[in-house]
Amino acid sequence: MNLDKQYNIQRPDRTKYWMKFGFITFILATLYTIAFTTTDLSYSGSSLSAFDMFKRLFFDTFFDPVVHERIPQYIGYMFETLAIAFAGTMIGAILAIPIGFLAAKNMSGHFSSIGKGILNGIRAFPEILFAVIFVASVGMGPYAGVLAIGINSIGMLGKLYSEVIESIDMTVVEALKASGASRLQAMWFGVIPQVIPEFSSYAIYRFEIDVRASTVLGIVGAGGIGAPIILASNQRAWEQVGMMLIIIIVVVTIIDYLSAYIRKKIV
Amino acid sequence: MIEFKNVSLTYPNGHQGLKNVNLKLNDGEFIVVVGLSGAGKSTLIRSINQLVKPTEGELIIDGENTLNFKEKQLRQLRTKIGMIFQNYNLVKRTSVLKNVLSGRLGHTGTIRSLLGLYPQEDVKLALESLDRVGIVEKAYIRADQLSGGQQQRVSIARALTQKPKVILADEPVASLDPPTSHIVMKDLKKINREDNITTLVNLHFIDMAMEYADRIIGMRAGEVVFDGPASSVTEKTFEEIYGRKIKEDDVLGGDEK
Repeated sequence: MNLDKQYNIQRPDRTKYWMKFGFITFILATLYTIAFTTTDLSYSGSSLSAFDMFKRLFFDTFFDPVVHERIPQYIGYMFETLAIAFAGTMIGAILAIPIGFLAAKNMSGHFSSIGKGILNGIRAFPEILFAVIFVASVGMGPYAGVLAIGINSIGMLGKLYSEVIESIDMTVVEALKASGASRLQAMWFGVIPQVIPEFSSYAIYRFEIDVRASTVLGIVGAGGIGAPIILASNQRAWEQVGMMLIIIIVVVTIIDYLSAYIRKKIV
Repeated sequence: MIEFKNVSLTYPNGHQGLKNVNLKLNDGEFIVVVGLSGAGKSTLIRSINQLVKPTEGELIIDGENTLNFKEKQLRQLRTKIGMIFQNYNLVKRTSVLKNVLSGRLGHTGTIRSLLGLYPQEDVKLALESLDRVGIVEKAYIRADQLSGGQQQRVSIARALTQKPKVILADEPVASLDPPTSHIVMKDLKKINREDNITTLVNLHFIDMAMEYADRIIGMRAGEVVFDGPASSVTEKTFEEIYGRKIKEDDVLGGDEK
């Protein structure tokens, strides 16, 4: 064997790579510097240490007589929160079906971009913003909350639905059309049975999200447990805030667990 | 009677599926269409119920040029043509009976069918159809619980429930093993004989074509290159249709009779 063999392979030129690397590093460093120098990060002092705060929220709350007295009331608010979430999810899950079909490419062809546009528009805002708008237009209370949750759910569910529809087996639809079924019949019998399990699974998942979202709606006056929380925290009644947080944590955990169980059974 | 008069079909991408096809298909014939993949067998079969629409010529069914049909007439026509697909195309998550009943959709009013209110005689017809392909006891089982051969028989029952005059079968046995393939072909042949339904089947196995067909149509590159009674066909004919020597893959074998 000839060990002195020469390989005529050139190392690729890396200058470009290092230039890019340096440029990106520079930009990131600049942004970082700007962010820190213009943000006021000074500690303004607090009458309460973090430890005291935690103690009052999650320990003292169990020994506060006022809290004991108000627990049934808090549970009532939590039920209202759940009801808002449920009604909102229901509206969203149903209204998302036609929009989902409209946004699915294999159902509406070129028109699907209209559906996708609507959905993107809805998803651009968080539900709290919808809540502010609805509180202003239909007044304070859970009604505004239900509308906010409902509209917001359409955004996410519509998008997920349209993706489910786009992934179905279209050959069934072809077979039904070949036997003389109308468009509507072909959709009803060829598409719906294929998508119902996924649709319900996503709707239940969305309910989970909506329960969490509903807990903050009260902050802007759209009903639920958010209102008493903001009230109590304005009064620095951390024991009361703590009990409400505990109730939320327990309920949300139970719902997450149930939802996961049901969804596993469905699909 | 189905008549192709100078029918050509060019796909939007410029591919020519059919080139100047002239054929007369008589009532009650059992016709097998053979050819290599891409030869235009599927296109030929699918143009009869216009799952693909020919771009030139006339396609005359019972005296009418179906290529001029509007949406409603086309649906009317399709109710009389049953179709069987390679992958069965059943709604997997619903029961066998509901799948078979869907053959009646074209005959049932939209509102009525959406509510699932099929007339009693339709249900009876569906059960009879299932009985004829020998799986009536599976009526209330979900379609995805069945084997491939059983699913294909469900799709035959679905076609039967349409009370069709024509059955089109697009590679009905391509996903099945040899014994099951023969069961399916025998069902098709039996129905063809008993109900006098014109039957067109796409196949690429030459022994099967010769065993079941009354008439064989050979296609190559979108053209009909052979048309004659099955009795006149030999291996030599197939070599001409395929444009090459017969290989082991072209023979299915395995009939258990």
